[in-house]
Amino acid sequence: MADFLTIVYLFFIFVSLYSIFLILLIFFRNKSELYSDYITENFRHLSVIIPAYNKEDSIKQTIEAVQNVDYPKDKIEIIVVDDGSRDRTVEIAKGIKGINLYVKGYNSGKSDTVNYGIKKAKGEIIAVIDADSCPEKDSFKKMMNYFDDPETGAVTATCYVRNTEKVIGKLQSIEYFLIAFGRKILDFVDSVYVTPGSLSMYRKKLLDEIGGFDTNNITEDIEIAWKILKNKYKNRMCLSARVSTDVPDTLRKWWKQRLRWNVGGFQTVHKYRNSFFRKSQKMFGLFVVPRFFISHVLSITGFFIFTYLIGKKLFEWGLNLFYSYQNGATLIEAPSLFLTPNVFTFFILVLFVFTLIFTYYGLKIMNKSPMGFKANATVLFYLLFYLTLYPLVLLHSLYVIITGDIKW
Amino acid sequence: MVRYGDLFLKALILTIVVFLLGVFLGYALERNRVNDIEEQFQIIDLNWDDARLQSLYYQNLEPRFCDSAIEENLDFADKAYQEGLKIEEYEQANFLTNDLELEKRKYALLKVEFWLNSIVLRNKCDADYINLVYFFKNKPDLETEAKQNTQSEILKELKEKYGKKLMLIPLPIDGDISMINIMETTYNISIVPTILINEKRKLEGLQSLDELDLLISYE
Repeated sequence: MADFLTIVYLFFIFVSLYSIFLILLIFFRNKSELYSDYITENFRHLSVIIPAYNKEDSIKQTIEAVQNVDYPKDKIEIIVVDDGSRDRTVEIAKGIKGINLYVKGYNSGKSDTVNYGIKKAKGEIIAVIDADSCPEKDSFKKMMNYFDDPETGAVTATCYVRNTEKVIGKLQSIEYFLIAFGRKILDFVDSVYVTPGSLSMYRKKLLDEIGGFDTNNITEDIEIAWKILKNKYKNRMCLSARVSTDVPDTLRKWWKQRLRWNVGGFQTVHKYRNSFFRKSQKMFGLFVVPRFFISHVLSITGFFIFTYLIGKKLFEWGLNLFYSYQNGATLIEAPSLFLTPNVFTFFILVLFVFTLIFTYYGLKIMNKSPMGFKANATVLFYLLFYLTLYPLVLLHSLYVIITGDIKW
Repeated sequence: MVRYGDLFLKALILTIVVFLLGVFLGYALERNRVNDIEEQFQIIDLNWDDARLQSLYYQNLEPRFCDSAIEENLDFADKAYQEGLKIEEYEQANFLTNDLELEKRKYALLKVEFWLNSIVLRNKCDADYINLVYFFKNKPDLETEAKQNTQSEILKELKEKYGKKLMLIPLPIDGDISMINIMETTYNISIVPTILINEKRKLEGLQSLDELDLLISYE
């Protein structure tokens, strides 16, 4: 009879297999519709809100990119809301014509800043764009068609990485493309669980109904997406609409960003815990919340088991070395890898192959990348090492949540 | 969920199929390894019967062939030792079945038999080899395991040094084998690792290479 840890491993494998098979099945069924976006003739009045805090380096570039977007000029207004910047953001923005600049004069966080902008907006649709992101020319038109469906509450776009000079940028570039690809797949089952701040559009009427962005949540883009789903609207993903952004270029900044994402994720799960497996909330209750929750639980549990096993091995190895040295024996070698095939060899191979298939299709479909995907080594590094950092950040996030030391 | 409910179901079916296939393959692999050990055991058991009978024959009827009996005994010891290592390796890779436990017990019994034969052979043939019985646990705590690993390494080095002069007989005391339990009581084995040299000298706890080397050279 298998022991407890073996059963836990097998459960992990079952859940992982199910996730990857589900994603691939959805993908293969809808492969031809990934880029089936049409350009609508119904140009709704659009208010673009750019919340800015200490963005002197990028604000001009972002505003100009928005001004250059191909959308009827009489149907678009650009609202820049300064969140109490201490640098030259306001000064730079003031020098740009054709925008409505609001200076709050105090720093209250992104959610509050966007909510401020929403109150000032006149458009039927609200686009929120980070002050360091640049939408491509045709992105608004492509996204707008999704609002022809009255059930659509929000639409988001493909975000790609601009600063890919460093390895960390290259890795995030792969990650961002795969995230966008994965989000599009989830779109086919009405389960887009985040509308990123780099570029997302919302129906203003809906935002007014649900009270805008939650100012207590540090990942307002996850929280708002969940709120929309809970209110029985859909979040959609427009794969062909693209926006570029700068990502953290040092491990320290990267860690901080991921910490924020995870802590915000936990906050959101906690807020919507009552929706867990709630049939009346359809995909949100039956899939989005449980999937998010289970993946976090599995990730943390998996990390603890992994740490326990590695720690145990290292401790054992240390003791072996100590006793060997003390008693004049030949120093015992490092714990050997047991290469005798076993039940897990098959599963690890299957999971790796299907993850490769997902990655291959993901990168192939997103091949407009500025990075170029011949760098197979980077992809392999991404799969084998970069992804293993996730549970570590998750664990740190859990610590932050438990200690209540949440500040950004 | 109604529109795409079939995808969730299909993914579940696919997962169950692949999962069961994997478990079945894993089980088949493990069974195959157990079968391999069982086959080897049968061969070794047969060899052992042969060696034991030869031993009896030489001891009782043809004492001048004692050397051959000792040689047979040593050959058998080597084979049993190698097979023991194989069981250990397979044990690390078997997650679904416990069938190797039984094989381990069979081997332990065989080693006890081998030990008893070695005692008789040494007395009857006036052989000068040393019986070194090493008592250990199959499921020790971390610290004991480290001590056992070190002790095994030291014994392996001594075996290499003394070759056929040293009969190395490792016996697990937690294998629920009544014969070993009797030995345990007879020699009052309370901790592991414990080493018994020529059924006379008992050494409790981890013994250093120099200490053991000195003791063996005096025997």
